[in-house]
Amino acid sequence: MSALIFIAIFGIIVLYLGFANNKAILAPIAIAGLLITMALSIKDWGVGSKYFHDMVVIDNFSIAFNVSMLIITTLIFLFGVNYYKRMEHHVAEQYALMIFALTGAFLMTSYSNLIMLFLGIEILSIPLYILAGGKKTSYRSNEASFKYFLLGSFSTAFFLFGIALVYGASSTFYLPEIKTYISQFNGHLPPMLMVGLLFILIGVSFKVAVAPFHFWSPDVYEGSPTLVTAFMATVVKTAGFAAFYRLLGMGLLPLPAPLEKTLWVMIGLSLLVGNLAALKQSNFKRLLAYSAIVHTGFMLLAMLSQHDSAGSVLLYYTFVYSLATIPLFIIFIHMKRSAKGLEDLVIFRGLYKQKPWVAVFMTILLMSLAGLPPTSGFMAKYQVFTISISQGYIAISIFAIVMAIIGVYYYFYVLREAFTDTDTPNPILITKLNAVLIVVCGVAVVLLGLFTFTIPI
Amino acid sequence: MILLIILLLPLVTGLGILFLRNACTVRIVALTSTIVNLLLTFVVMGSSPAATFSVEWNNLMGISFSLGFDGISLLMLLLTNLLFPFIILAGFKREQNQISVLNFLILLTQAALIGVFLSQNAFLFYIFWELTLIPIYFILLLWGGENSRAVTLKFFIYTLAGSLFLLIGIIYIVQLTPGVHSTDFSVLNQLHIPAATQIWLFWVLFIAFAIKMPIFPFHTWQPNTYTMASTQGVMILGGVMTKMGIYGALRFLFPMVPQGVLYWQNIVLVMCLIGVVYASVIAFRQTNLKRLIAFSSMAHISLMAAALFIYNYYAAQGLLFQVLTHGLTVVALFYMVQLIQDKTKTLELPQMGGLKHAAPKMAILLLMILLVSVALPFTAGFIGEFLIIIGLAKQSIWVALFGGTTMILGAIYMLYAYQRIMLGDKNASLKNTTDLVRLDYWMLIPLIAILFILGIYPQPILNLVEVSANTMQNLLTSATGIVTAMPH
Repeated sequence: MSALIFIAIFGIIVLYLGFANNKAILAPIAIAGLLITMALSIKDWGVGSKYFHDMVVIDNFSIAFNVSMLIITTLIFLFGVNYYKRMEHHVAEQYALMIFALTGAFLMTSYSNLIMLFLGIEILSIPLYILAGGKKTSYRSNEASFKYFLLGSFSTAFFLFGIALVYGASSTFYLPEIKTYISQFNGHLPPMLMVGLLFILIGVSFKVAVAPFHFWSPDVYEGSPTLVTAFMATVVKTAGFAAFYRLLGMGLLPLPAPLEKTLWVMIGLSLLVGNLAALKQSNFKRLLAYSAIVHTGFMLLAMLSQHDSAGSVLLYYTFVYSLATIPLFIIFIHMKRSAKGLEDLVIFRGLYKQKPWVAVFMTILLMSLAGLPPTSGFMAKYQVFTISISQGYIAISIFAIVMAIIGVYYYFYVLREAFTDTDTPNPILITKLNAVLIVVCGVAVVLLGLFTFTIPI
Repeated sequence: MILLIILLLPLVTGLGILFLRNACTVRIVALTSTIVNLLLTFVVMGSSPAATFSVEWNNLMGISFSLGFDGISLLMLLLTNLLFPFIILAGFKREQNQISVLNFLILLTQAALIGVFLSQNAFLFYIFWELTLIPIYFILLLWGGENSRAVTLKFFIYTLAGSLFLLIGIIYIVQLTPGVHSTDFSVLNQLHIPAATQIWLFWVLFIAFAIKMPIFPFHTWQPNTYTMASTQGVMILGGVMTKMGIYGALRFLFPMVPQGVLYWQNIVLVMCLIGVVYASVIAFRQTNLKRLIAFSSMAHISLMAAALFIYNYYAAQGLLFQVLTHGLTVVALFYMVQLIQDKTKTLELPQMGGLKHAAPKMAILLLMILLVSVALPFTAGFIGEFLIIIGLAKQSIWVALFGGTTMILGAIYMLYAYQRIMLGDKNASLKNTTDLVRLDYWMLIPLIAILFILGIYPQPILNLVEVSANTMQNLLTSATGIVTAMPH
């Protein structure tokens, strides 16, 4: 709990640090704050306490996810040191907004009451709407912000309506009580409850960009400043999945058959739509957006198989996925700068020639996303398939494997560009700090694959 | 412990090579490493099979890092370590860019292949199985010929697709193990999977191996990849990596889904035989020498695959013998292709001819290699294919008849190709062509010597694999009783 309070206050402190007019101190202080939050979070490990009339539950699950998100945010802030160097004004706001979003993310990992989930989602989303529009002069960025805001509000409305309907039927906001209420119907729910649950699922699905509620994500990913895109692809995704897992895996599952079938269809669609669309992308950010939709499908597969260790697998999956994604964005931003702002896949050409070691790490990172051994991305997929097959979902697992093969195509397509020479080489300058980040993440991706962790949550 | 050294030596040398600048040093270090590895392999062949290495890796998922061997893995290990010195040697004195990276990748492939053949754990096996793909992908991409970008990606996706099905198969089988799940082969082999499951599980596992070998409808990646690949790349692919498919089938299909194998035996046999005839006929029509050899290799592999799925005593012995022979022959053949390309500056058969006058010694050596390839008696090729044909004949005379076409058609297209390359009038454009140099002799003479010695005295290899071959065959025989009782 102290972690949650600290980070909320700390966000305001960082916001006011902007008056100091000293950009150089922002990132170190912000990172120090994150590390303190991490220490405070870990202190509560194993205690398992509840606050605000049990609306907030701080258990090992939420702490594990919070620490994972804090590590990832630290990496993003380190990335920010270089990224915000060119930005003259309002740098403190960027950090502060991300910390605010993180506060919302904390609530999303530790609610047991639908109202708390709603608050968490909103606290996470509103800073993101602003962050997405961070480049005020960019048409794309404004479009992303506006689109995200409009569709986000739309989905929030769905979500709230769902909560209202469920409350109307069951007269409670508490997940355990809702579950008890549902179970008394033996699968034949009254229409109001059914629609309410469906709307809640739609609202959360929108946040984690599950097909067919994914349409915002490629545009928003493309338009947002790259650092914000990295934040959305990693921290927001992790938070969304933690919330999803609390809602379903630890909460409402097993659901009545029609709702579960809906979810299975959504998995299939995410895998299929994400992959097919990714095949045709020439913009790297859009490609990663679609590939993120595919990963969402894999994570949902783990969740819906209702295995005891699904939570742990999810934590591992989101963490290693984030670890592989952030350095890719870092590499991307350097290539983009050397290509004078282009975002096409061809900008990666000539990377191997100029910076062979970056190309090697890029290979490792893309292998991890594609799920090839011995990287951690492979171990994550292996665990997902293990739990889904052990629960008897063989057909969908085979379908997912086929989709994973398609994934390999576009990841290696990008990789192939990196290993292709170009006629017009632009000098690629990679700062020391970013180089260290790429190396550390790359090594971590391999080491986590060799020594897989399983946290009892 | 010695197994661990064999596995790690190429890897460590490879990493060390990256820091060397001098091209000549790089090659010599790499060559020394592979030769030491070969010597260590001989030491292993003399030691008892108990010389295994095993440590716990991931208890929760039942994964252990365990290396060990039986006769079949030993044969594969011998094949790998015997071929890699030649593969490294094939790069000597050639214009290549980034020599240290290339040799690193080659050594990494070797380490991964050794890992595949020594793993005693299905998970570990899979990791190495996939790991072989990464270095070969880059070898093909960066050192391949024209159009390497598109072809390499196809090859990669194709083989990876198969592997992922294998992964599903492995996970499924592991889930069937009792108690705390284990991925050790020793545990998986003890499973008695229900016959109905075996029937579909067979395909999930089989596709990975069929693509790797390749067997008929799964072969479309092969000709283009072979044609485009650099000499060293194609030597690794054709010499060793195709054998991974055979090894995998022996490791997985026979012990784990023997009833599945018997149930689908005839269909797979037909696929193999189609492959034999189809590849031979296409090879006959090729005008590009490298494509011709690619298809000829496919024809031979298809015959081996047929032997694999018949798996009686003769077929098994012939198959395992042919694994070694074919690897050696392919390496020698592709080296010759490289030489011919160097000398005539083309790979198109119609533009060649008369090379014999310029390079008579080369003509003799090429003839010897071709004779091994077409299975002339007293060469190693004959022993392998003859045993296989006997094995096929025991099953059915028709199978043997179709299988035998490799030998007949092979003789036709190989000798026809020889005629077009070497014979004919003096060719004016070959005026300045020189004959073989010392390096070529170092490369070719040992290969040819081994092939001829094995042709006259094959017993050591046959002894090496005898026990394992019998074990595998017993698995199938014991499954026969159950399958015949099953309704078709």
